[in-house]
Amino acid sequence: MSIVKNAIISAAGMGTRLGLNMPKCLLKFNGISIIEHQLNLLKDIDSVRVIVGFMEEDVIREVKFFRKDAIFVRNPDYQKTSNTYSISLANNNLREPHILLDGDLLINKKSFNDFVNSIHKKNSLVGITKASTDDAVYVKLNKKNSITSFSRKNKSEYEWSGIAFLNGITINKKKPYLYQTLENHLPLQAKYIECSEIDTADDLKRAQHLWPRYFTK
Amino acid sequence: MKKKYCFDLDGTITSQEILPIMAAELDLYDEISALTKATINGLITFEQSFKLRCRLLSNIPIEKVQEIADNIKLNKAIVQFIKKNNDNCCVITGNIYEWIKPIIKKLDCEIFCSKGKFADGKLVSLEKILNKGEVVKKIRKRNDLIISVGDGMGDVLMFEESDLSIAFGGVHEPIETLLKVSNYLVYDEVSLCRLLKTL
Repeated sequence: MSIVKNAIISAAGMGTRLGLNMPKCLLKFNGISIIEHQLNLLKDIDSVRVIVGFMEEDVIREVKFFRKDAIFVRNPDYQKTSNTYSISLANNNLREPHILLDGDLLINKKSFNDFVNSIHKKNSLVGITKASTDDAVYVKLNKKNSITSFSRKNKSEYEWSGIAFLNGITINKKKPYLYQTLENHLPLQAKYIECSEIDTADDLKRAQHLWPRYFTK
Repeated sequence: MKKKYCFDLDGTITSQEILPIMAAELDLYDEISALTKATINGLITFEQSFKLRCRLLSNIPIEKVQEIADNIKLNKAIVQFIKKNNDNCCVITGNIYEWIKPIIKKLDCEIFCSKGKFADGKLVSLEKILNKGEVVKKIRKRNDLIISVGDGMGDVLMFEESDLSIAFGGVHEPIETLLKVSNYLVYDEVSLCRLLKTL
């Protein structure tokens, strides 16, 4: 039994930087979409909320096929609003702790399970990964492996991954970025997680080589 | 904060569509399915369709209609939620009260529905066709947060007047117009109740 009962996947965005006319969560690797891969990681979690916006019918169809009991949270204003706003729609009225995932992440299964197993006494936990993306949000860690600051300028070895376990943290929809809410709760325990975000055409090219690392059964 | 959960009946609380079952039982299958098709395709309005439906059912003794209604299957988790929170729940349905009385008795909550005039156990005329949006406007004065659950064209006005709305696809896919005015979409009744508890 997982200690975590709820999960939120944010899949409302248009993925404009990638420039494909489809939601990023529907990108397929070896016939498996990112969202299928993520739902598979979350299969022991009781309740999954998926935030939909851009091409919502397509995302709903795919999710429903694998997870009929998913709760879809709609953001009809996805074109004018941020990812943080989308997440706030699912997070703000869920008064229970939950795992949060960006819908454009390839995540290593073993690493994800380690992350879930590291959740201790339901304390919030922030996933960090090796800094590699162009617009990374770097994290500064103390000796206890807790995050003491987020920064776009001060480079460090690790960046915020887009994966977190949140307990009692209400996402501020007015802030453009999610880490700006997390900043108000520092220090936050960090846990390394092997994952890859697909934001640009270069990321996609890289992922096409990397996917076997993530899609292992 | 005073909350009100407003439920559509047909295809939301009931796990079977009421009308096709009545049609089959009463040997009116062709007539009712033509009517349903015309309504879904937008050839006639919900109100016109409802008036014709009443005409078709007006010759049937009310006891017979109620007997069929009594056997309509209900979504257990939703019924349980309503019974547990009956002060905060209401049913808003276009159906005439006398037709669905046996179902309402099982729910034990406030009901808003259309009104018919009856004589000798049969429907004589329609007195009032319910506008679901008007109901929400009316109950707004005594509630701080109004949450609606529905699946069909008749629920669009109810959703538009509510603070939060959930399109429910437990029985059939919710119609697109309704989806476009909803905040949530759920296909599973247990998930629906789980969501309702958090709102």
